[in-house]
Amino acid sequence: MRLQEGSGETAVAGYLSKLSKDIARWQAEGLIDEATAAALLRDVQSRPGGVRFGSVLAILAAVLVGAALLLLIAANWEAFPRLLRVVLIVAGILAGYLGGAYLKNRGHDHFGEALWLLAAVTFGAGIGLVGQMYHLSGDETQAILVWCAGTALAAIALRSHPLTVGAVLLAGGWLLMVATESGRGDHVPPSYLALAAVLWAVSLWTASTAARHLILLSLMLYVVLVYLDSEGLVAPILLAAVSAAAFAWGAAQPQQSERIVKLGGGLPVQGLLGFIAGMSIVQFEYYEERSFLLVAIIVFAGVVAALVLAGRESRMLRWLAYAAFIYELGFVYVTLIGTMLGTAGFFLAAGLVLAAIAIVITRIERRVAGSAAGEGRA
Amino acid sequence: MNPSRRLLLVAFGVAAVQIGVLGWMIAGRAMILRSGNDVMLQVQPVDPRDLLRGDYVRLAYNISSLPRELFGDTLQDADPGEFTVYVRLASDADGIWQPVAARYGSPPEAAPEARHIDIRGTADYSPAADMETISVDYGIERFYLPEGEGREIEEGIRERRFRMLVAVARDGTAQIKAFYDGDTPIHSEPLY
Repeated sequence: MRLQEGSGETAVAGYLSKLSKDIARWQAEGLIDEATAAALLRDVQSRPGGVRFGSVLAILAAVLVGAALLLLIAANWEAFPRLLRVVLIVAGILAGYLGGAYLKNRGHDHFGEALWLLAAVTFGAGIGLVGQMYHLSGDETQAILVWCAGTALAAIALRSHPLTVGAVLLAGGWLLMVATESGRGDHVPPSYLALAAVLWAVSLWTASTAARHLILLSLMLYVVLVYLDSEGLVAPILLAAVSAAAFAWGAAQPQQSERIVKLGGGLPVQGLLGFIAGMSIVQFEYYEERSFLLVAIIVFAGVVAALVLAGRESRMLRWLAYAAFIYELGFVYVTLIGTMLGTAGFFLAAGLVLAAIAIVITRIERRVAGSAAGEGRA
Repeated sequence: MNPSRRLLLVAFGVAAVQIGVLGWMIAGRAMILRSGNDVMLQVQPVDPRDLLRGDYVRLAYNISSLPRELFGDTLQDADPGEFTVYVRLASDADGIWQPVAARYGSPPEAAPEARHIDIRGTADYSPAADMETISVDYGIERFYLPEGEGREIEEGIRERRFRMLVAVARDGTAQIKAFYDGDTPIHSEPLY
């Protein structure tokens, strides 16, 4: 199975390189103009062809080298005079972006993207170095924001998917830092919503599905932070409601919703996740009240509905639903039944319940597999 | 223009913008060092267990904690969401600069005399908080050191008098200039 997948990837890569050559030839012969050629190439390259091993390794290498660079700066490496360190950073940024462009032009896309990522990390290291050179303190959040803006700019200009993901991660880091900063109010910055909207637009331009998924996850984090800050239930309930609506839309109109949100068919999964996240907060709030059971019933109903409505199309959604079901059971046990049963009773009950869940999951999976095979024959 | 040359140009443009941002940050700080007003502050040890943080020492100054009276009755008028504080400094007989007035949001009202310098900081508490003293950060609470040198200074600060020469820009931004152990400078910052 593994071998087959591997050869499939090679086949895809071979097809890509052949198609790229053909497009170049068509352009040279005047069959298509430059804009069409570029658009075709982009379309071919942005096709999700599974996670390519080489790409992952190249990105990992860039992250490792980048981390080494950041650590070097952090250790205040005195072997180099600091002017030389600035020169090294400048040279690293130049070499990273230009070298990445050069590699991309030669068709080594993954290594090109990895070099760009490294250049963006070097930019961050440069900001850290300036802070260290002048003993700046107290505005780390601003430094992260500048880093994020620089990375987003690079992502836009170079139409780079990994750089978009990088910018989204930096924005999330900024959100966490501002929200957990000691003193000065401790507020969750509403401006993050604007930042997320901008990054969403960037991700559409750079065709980065992963970035959009990360943005949605960061918005769930945002709601959790707002709840921790204010203890109000408006944000979590809003999250659960919007997520349920998104799920319904994604399940009922898969093609239409996909055209608009472009999540690679992941909208129902994100919807279910958001629903569970929001409702979990509500449950924590009603932990010791009677209405807890009502909330738990809503969650169970939601998870089962998700399974019935969209479980067949998405394996990820099914597993998320199973996990949510078990989590919810545990939650209900700890709050309601935990007080009634002893530890031995708990193990017995947990074992029986898990066995029941296992049987149900196996049956669902078998049925899905069976109907998929049936469709395949038809 | 062919696409590969355009990509190289765009990549160069991105690099130029990011390098420009770094250059602008450096130029701004060098400018304060070159043309800011110098004030000498007394270094005070902060939380004794937690002075050394990896590669820098945390520092507090004689102006880090301000008595409430210094703000006069401007505290009542201040916007509760305001955390920026301006502190007016004047040199004492020993050459150490001491706070003479402070205000949230804008420099103290009376026009500064020639011997006064206004420095800008960020308060830990809003003006509405009922605190006896208000602690203020000026962005100069860290001193980065080569690995391993921090411990010595950390111990020194508890026993001897350390002072910090700080350059203050016209808008009140503070920038560390030189670190003194008694009268001997132990680290002094070049412009670049």
